[in-house]
Amino acid sequence: MTLLRQTYLLLGKDLLLELRRRDSVLTMFFFGTLLLFVFHFAFDLPPDKIAELAPALLWLAFLFTGTLGLAQLFQAERDNHCLDALLLSPLDRGALFLAKTGLNFVLMFVVELVVIPLFWVLFNLSAWNLLPRLFLVTLLGTLGFCVLGTITAAITLRARARELLLPLVLFPLMIPVILATIRCMESIMRTGAMTEAMPWLRLLIGFDVIFLTIGILIFDWVIES
Amino acid sequence: MRLIVNQLAKAYGFLWALRPLDLELAPGEFIALLGPNGAGKTTLLKLLSGLTMPTAGTIELDGKTLAVNSTTLRGQIGLLAPADHLYDQLTVLENLRFFAALYGKAQPKNGLAAALEEVGLAERADAFVGTLSAGMKCRLSIAKWRLLEPALLLLDEPYGVLDGNGVDLLEEFLRQQCAKGHIVIMASHHVSRAVALCSRALILHQGRLSFNQAKQSPWPSFEIAFGDFLPSGGL
Amino acid sequence: MAQPTAAVKKRKGILGGAALLAITAGLCWSLVIAPPDGYQGEVQRIMYLHLPSILTAYLSYFLVFIGSGMYLWKREKKDDLLAHAAAELGVLFTALTIVEGSIWGKPTWGVWWTWDARLTLTAILLLIYAGYLMLRSLIDDEQRAASAAAILGIIGFLDIPLIHMSVYWWRTLHQPPSILRPDKKPWETVHPAMLTALAVSFVGFLLLYFYLLSLRYRVGEMRQEIKALRLERGA
Repeated sequence: MTLLRQTYLLLGKDLLLELRRRDSVLTMFFFGTLLLFVFHFAFDLPPDKIAELAPALLWLAFLFTGTLGLAQLFQAERDNHCLDALLLSPLDRGALFLAKTGLNFVLMFVVELVVIPLFWVLFNLSAWNLLPRLFLVTLLGTLGFCVLGTITAAITLRARARELLLPLVLFPLMIPVILATIRCMESIMRTGAMTEAMPWLRLLIGFDVIFLTIGILIFDWVIES
Repeated sequence: MRLIVNQLAKAYGFLWALRPLDLELAPGEFIALLGPNGAGKTTLLKLLSGLTMPTAGTIELDGKTLAVNSTTLRGQIGLLAPADHLYDQLTVLENLRFFAALYGKAQPKNGLAAALEEVGLAERADAFVGTLSAGMKCRLSIAKWRLLEPALLLLDEPYGVLDGNGVDLLEEFLRQQCAKGHIVIMASHHVSRAVALCSRALILHQGRLSFNQAKQSPWPSFEIAFGDFLPSGGL
Repeated sequence: MAQPTAAVKKRKGILGGAALLAITAGLCWSLVIAPPDGYQGEVQRIMYLHLPSILTAYLSYFLVFIGSGMYLWKREKKDDLLAHAAAELGVLFTALTIVEGSIWGKPTWGVWWTWDARLTLTAILLLIYAGYLMLRSLIDDEQRAASAAAILGIIGFLDIPLIHMSVYWWRTLHQPPSILRPDKKPWETVHPAMLTALAVSFVGFLLLYFYLLSLRYRVGEMRQEIKALRLERGA
């Protein structure tokens, strides 16, 4: 079975499980929305000032929401030693990596799809036409987050204080993604186009490609019984 | 499937769970893996299944060494943990379908249904595995491994959760496996049943292989070896 | 792992002695022989500690990368010991660099901390490798801890160029260039005596680093030896 077919099989199973219970996606969505409310109370600013801060605030919300998702990433495999069942099988570890990255990505995609327009509504922003472009850039950043997040979630799986250790290890490594995504989004909000932020976009795409490849190659050693 | 184990050893931190061990098994052998708790049976099974990597030594199946990335080899090894390795939130049928596909042995729906029929779980096909009893989960495991047909099947204490019918199902399945030339290694505290089924007995004691002999009838040497660490002695 | 021989101990002693000499020489040059800076005066002398500190830290992280890679490949404990020792020293020298940078900053810019590219990068480096050490200490199983840390050691190091780029772009695109930044290359400014001071200082730091590394590595080795003895005793 090829890498992609195994990934598809695993991702399908995880999405089916998620569809049934909707544990992760609902918690993530409510947490993301809750953060927006907290921002409203914390940042008492007029709409034009908020528009400047929008990319940063959104990304703060997504970082924390995404971390929630990562904490749940291997939840299905926790009962009945199912992770052993997967490791026992002829499963390519790279497929496990891609499937889990894909799972968190899908969850964050769904949450972002709702939270970004919600942000626009709650903070009375007007530039609705920019949303598609902003969303695309957010997805690129989300991919970077999910890739490194999956690797980090896997290596901290057996650590004590796992939920605390994960963001501690992940966030410094995420700095290029955070900087690049927010700069790109700022460029879109200011000028409607990506032209002045092209180097950042290239950095972001480069980051995604590099760590996606590394993840596939290295996951053999990352996940152990 | 020939299994050759060469100076296999495993240490966990301060403890040697398994001391250097040599083993050679021919196709169709049924091994009873015996020994007191903590002797290293589970460790040996974990090493043979590829779940854990050894501290020293090698495992060879048909001349190929078992390593971290041995995906094809792993497709030929099975570990039957009685009520484990099943997704509680998926149905019986979905579990079967998933694992069959994972091992590259995807079946059409009636193939899966037939497998469930054989273990008496046909009416529970759409029940969530989480709602099944441990005995039923074990039957599902049997159905699963019957579909996957591993050349090396490992079992860790299967008798604990099975009722009378389940026991018959399991033993029939294991006999069929051996008849097809596959190797079965079963760790169990149910010494009488294990010895009845086996073609060879291995006794582990404090991480060491203290007995390795093909079955004879009668088997005084086995009784002596086994009696050595039983408080009352005898089977 | 055997006890270090007398020859090894002697070499370590020589290394330590050489480090001491070089550091002393470096201090002489830095504090006395080299002239004070035209702009910043005496305060600038901290550069003779600051630059070698950060360069040594980078060397350390490179060694973590190498050790991590070798460990994942060969699974030999010595590579893991090297990575761990180098990470600890890396964190030490990075923290040192930040403190020195802060001390330099206060009289120069009037603030203890500024988010200029270099200080920010150094702080991020500290966070990454402090995280590495936390990861190691929070995983109980030693083999798992070593594997997990090795992955982080590799990923962290590969991320550093990307972090570098992103932080530098961010700071140069947004920060007006009028701020006096202590990151101009020395050979652009420079009086030859200053260059010599820097070079001698750097050699001193390198020698000191390798001396400390050998000591810390030995501590790791001794821990392993104790474990081996305990394992044997448990036989």
